[in-house]
Amino acid sequence: MSLIPGLLSAIVFLPLAGAVIVPIAARLAPGAAKWIALAVAAVGLAMTVVLVAGFDVSAAGMQAVTNVSWVEQAGIRYHLGVDGISLAMLALSSLLGLIAVIASWKITERAPAYFAMLLLLQVGMNGVFVALDFVLFYVFWELVLVPMFFLIGMWGGARRDYASVKFFIYTLAGSVFMLIGIIALYLSAGTFDMVELAAKGASGAFGIGFQNWVFLAFFLGFAVKVPVWPLHTWLPDAHVEAPTAASVLLAGILLKMGTYGFIRVSLPMLPQAAAAWAPWISVLAAISIVYGAAVAFAQTDLKKLVAYSSVSHMGFVMLGIFSLTAAGLNGAVAVMFSHGVVTGMLFLIVGIVYDRAHTREIAKIGGLSQAMPVTGGLLAFAAFASLGLPGLSGFVGEFLSLVGSWQSAVIPQWVTIVAAIGVLLAAAYTLWMVLRVVLGKPTETVTGLPDATPREIGMLVPLIALTVIVGVWWSSLLAFVDPAVRALVAVITKAV
Amino acid sequence: MAWVALIPLLPALAFVVMLPMSRRARNAVRWLPAAATIAALGLSVAAFFAVLAVGGEEPVFRASFTLAELGGAPLAVGLRLDAVSAIMLLVVTIVAACVQIYSLDYMRSEDRRGWYFAVLSLFTAAMLLLVLAGDFLLLYMSWEVMGLCSYLLIGFWHEQDAPRSASIKAFLTTRVGDVGFAIGLAAMWASAKSFDFAVVLHGFEWTVPAATVVALGLLFGAMGKSAQVPLHVWLPDAMAGPTPASALIHAATMVAAGVYLVARALPIFHEAAPWVLQLVMAIGVTTALLGALLAVVQHDIKKVLAYSTISQLGYMFIALGAGSEIAALFHLTTHAFFKSLLFLGAGAIIHATHTQDMREMGGLRRSMPWTTTVFVAGALALSGVFPFSGFWSKDDILMVLYTGGHWYALVAALAVAGLTAFYMTRVCVRVFGGSEKAHAHEAHPAMLVPMALLAAITVVVGFTSPAFAGFLGEAKGWPDLGMAAVGTLAALAGIGAGVWVFGLGKVDTAVLKRRLPRVYAAFVNKFYFDTVYGIVFVGAYAHLSGWLARFDVSLIDGAVNGIASAWSKVSSVAWSADVRLIDGAVNGLAGAVTRAGGRMRTLQAGAVQGYQRLAYGALLVLLGASLLVPFVGTTVALAGGAVALLLMGVLVVRGA
Repeated sequence: MSLIPGLLSAIVFLPLAGAVIVPIAARLAPGAAKWIALAVAAVGLAMTVVLVAGFDVSAAGMQAVTNVSWVEQAGIRYHLGVDGISLAMLALSSLLGLIAVIASWKITERAPAYFAMLLLLQVGMNGVFVALDFVLFYVFWELVLVPMFFLIGMWGGARRDYASVKFFIYTLAGSVFMLIGIIALYLSAGTFDMVELAAKGASGAFGIGFQNWVFLAFFLGFAVKVPVWPLHTWLPDAHVEAPTAASVLLAGILLKMGTYGFIRVSLPMLPQAAAAWAPWISVLAAISIVYGAAVAFAQTDLKKLVAYSSVSHMGFVMLGIFSLTAAGLNGAVAVMFSHGVVTGMLFLIVGIVYDRAHTREIAKIGGLSQAMPVTGGLLAFAAFASLGLPGLSGFVGEFLSLVGSWQSAVIPQWVTIVAAIGVLLAAAYTLWMVLRVVLGKPTETVTGLPDATPREIGMLVPLIALTVIVGVWWSSLLAFVDPAVRALVAVITKAV
Repeated sequence: MAWVALIPLLPALAFVVMLPMSRRARNAVRWLPAAATIAALGLSVAAFFAVLAVGGEEPVFRASFTLAELGGAPLAVGLRLDAVSAIMLLVVTIVAACVQIYSLDYMRSEDRRGWYFAVLSLFTAAMLLLVLAGDFLLLYMSWEVMGLCSYLLIGFWHEQDAPRSASIKAFLTTRVGDVGFAIGLAAMWASAKSFDFAVVLHGFEWTVPAATVVALGLLFGAMGKSAQVPLHVWLPDAMAGPTPASALIHAATMVAAGVYLVARALPIFHEAAPWVLQLVMAIGVTTALLGALLAVVQHDIKKVLAYSTISQLGYMFIALGAGSEIAALFHLTTHAFFKSLLFLGAGAIIHATHTQDMREMGGLRRSMPWTTTVFVAGALALSGVFPFSGFWSKDDILMVLYTGGHWYALVAALAVAGLTAFYMTRVCVRVFGGSEKAHAHEAHPAMLVPMALLAAITVVVGFTSPAFAGFLGEAKGWPDLGMAAVGTLAALAGIGAGVWVFGLGKVDTAVLKRRLPRVYAAFVNKFYFDTVYGIVFVGAYAHLSGWLARFDVSLIDGAVNGIASAWSKVSSVAWSADVRLIDGAVNGLAGAVTRAGGRMRTLQAGAVQGYQRLAYGALLVLLGASLLVPFVGTTVALAGGAVALLLMGVLVVRGA
């Protein structure tokens, strides 16, 4: 099955059209905003499914490519394309985008603006994963900031001003360094084209001294986004204040932009620097894993607990990436995907509880298995997926990251052991949460609350299904990922 | 032979069917899990005869499924039916079927019995998959799913505190071991690029360091699951779950999975440094002794059996340490039957007396004659009395230690044999002897029949000893009379001492408590493992985690906010000078942002202001940086793009 030309562009820019139409249509027909957003997100997902179906897993390299000149004088091109890794992220982005719309169904406060922002965010998220020109990449990267800033700042919780501005500045500060890196690469290689730059990096066109400091610049840009310890403190604030849908997308997609950047930019373009820095980054990854888990254990706010658990999980992604092995890179992408699905699920469930109980204090919500059995059961399911139970998606990536990390020539083995302890600590904070929130007798706050509605259960069903499918049939995801990983590992092996 | 896959699949289907009925199990489907398990038992019998017909060590059935490709290298998991898995299938399905039938009556009045049967079925499926696994990865995956089921069943009565904390303790303690297991697997893949038994156990050239790391990792995992010292602490607490679940999971099958793992992986242990097997034996000896000693002082009948299980698993580890997987697996087999029998008997007793405290029992031989008979049969088997099954398997282990020259282990094993007979005599005397303290009634036939079946197996299965070894590929005759005599003497000495102390009351235990207060305290406190762990791990970790959480907010985030407010100060110095310059570029924008943001609160105002100025600064840096690009077009594209996007957002928000 061949791919329709322009499909990628349609997937990226359809939500932009939606974002423009929504405020206009809402003037004509109040209440239309969410329906338009739903339709746009659904069509976007459908187009992504078509893209996935037409994707040739046996072929290496970019597919569904569009490559035309954009700003000719500057050599900037409109260059889009996907390989298996970007496809996995794009699919996740489209799915979570649709679920975010459904999760926001009860938003009434300035709904047209809200849904327009959600769709605008979708443009940026989709774009980052398919852009193959650095200028385009950068534009999408920064585009994501703006709607997220407004989603947190306008529809967020009590400390939304602080959280939204902090989020904006912190990540913008990071991307300034990334911009410097982009410009440095451009000045050295004379192109913004990411495929060409990767080829140049693979052929050893960049000296190691140059690579080292450009790598550092990109590292700062990406690491803030991931976030890597100790650059993570914007995350708990942003998560706690963000509305549910924004939390889902923040954890599900925005964090992955950082690790995606490492895979798409740092490794192929600067392979020698990546290998040189890998031991140090692996140490940061192990710290992120253990530190995130330990801090999550102490949290009394359910959402903050999930936020810190993200720091821990993203540490596994970093560990897998900088193992520079096929197992580790497959594992990293698997964690990226699974964390998006599972943490999305967790935030949605926390949202369900919060909508009713109006609190996220763990001490106040207890005994959900009796008070809200469906919600409690789903929370327990998501928790076990999150702690890496085999047969569910969380296990795949964590296990492969550890396998790759142990195998890696650049990561010291004690780092892998420390990271493996993170698996235990994940069980500790997760089960401790389950014990307090799901098990036991219901607290006063949750007694008599209505259970999840069909809409709420419905939006979780695809995530549950993906968790099980990927967990049991690993190649449903990794068959797409491995060819891209293979090419990447070949480059690194040659360069190092 | 593809029907072999049905063996784990049938209970898995029962789980899927039962799950939606967790909270209101209809009577019509109550029998379904039991039926699925019995069907799996039937298929297991067929599988056994299929292996018997072919003979030899080669698997009669293999199936492989590629989970993923890693850099083009296939990562496969698969099923494998060989002699070892055929025996394990029989053991698991027989005990599981007995427990399922027994539970029908035992759990009759529970509200959430649908959930109970669902999880019990999932457990059975996972355990059957584990013994059918043809590679260490699938084994590990089913191992973890079993851990989940164990957690769920221990916490079945989660409204109460004890089951809740016991469930989390069990999961986390076994997961300590699983960290080692995972590293062992990672090391296995790094060396062999495979998890397949056929590759890593046969024919792969292990280096000593690699084999040592793998063996140690697997051993650590096995220690968690099989409750070996120092990871044994979860098993006594796990008794907070329903008793039939304890019989299946925490006596017969799951806890034996660690023994099974090491038995399977023994070829790697042989390639490892010699001290690894010595370590296995030392752990086994320590565990066997510790379990037996603590079993003596328990008053809760289930706790006696739990410590006894720990002790017997230690016995199996001793056999593994001596390099004999056959002796270990035979003891695993006999133990599975007689220990599940004892647990089911204890369940019947608890059901009838509504207490687990043996001090409140007594004289039950009159009101519960059938239960008494089968329980005593189980106790005799555990004590190693001829002709009950425990005699045979214990004798095998003693013989292995004797021929291998493992003298200290042999002495310890004999001591444990004596202690085992001693504490089981204590149980029998306390529960069945003396006068009746509370009214009790005989168990329901649905409970008695499975117990009778297990008792029958317990009587006869020992005689298969030579055939068992032969089936697994080792020629072995009937027991050596000398060793049989020594083992029997140890058992009889234990029984005699038990009768002397507890039956005839010749020793006043209260005097012992007074005379040896420290020793007594050590026993009561379970040798202080829980106390130390509570302080060193649980308490310290809770403190550390709380401290890190404060550190995160005060220091790391404090630094971030500090930078923001420092920037705020710097910028306010230059503010008046810059304000005109910046005004043109960003003030309108800033105003728009502020208005759009609406209610900028005074909350965190200082930091927000700092951030705002930082934002303008950052935008300037962004603009400046893009000026570096020697093309005007790029500058325009970047700067214009960023500003336009922000403006667009503002307009959209305001327009709405």
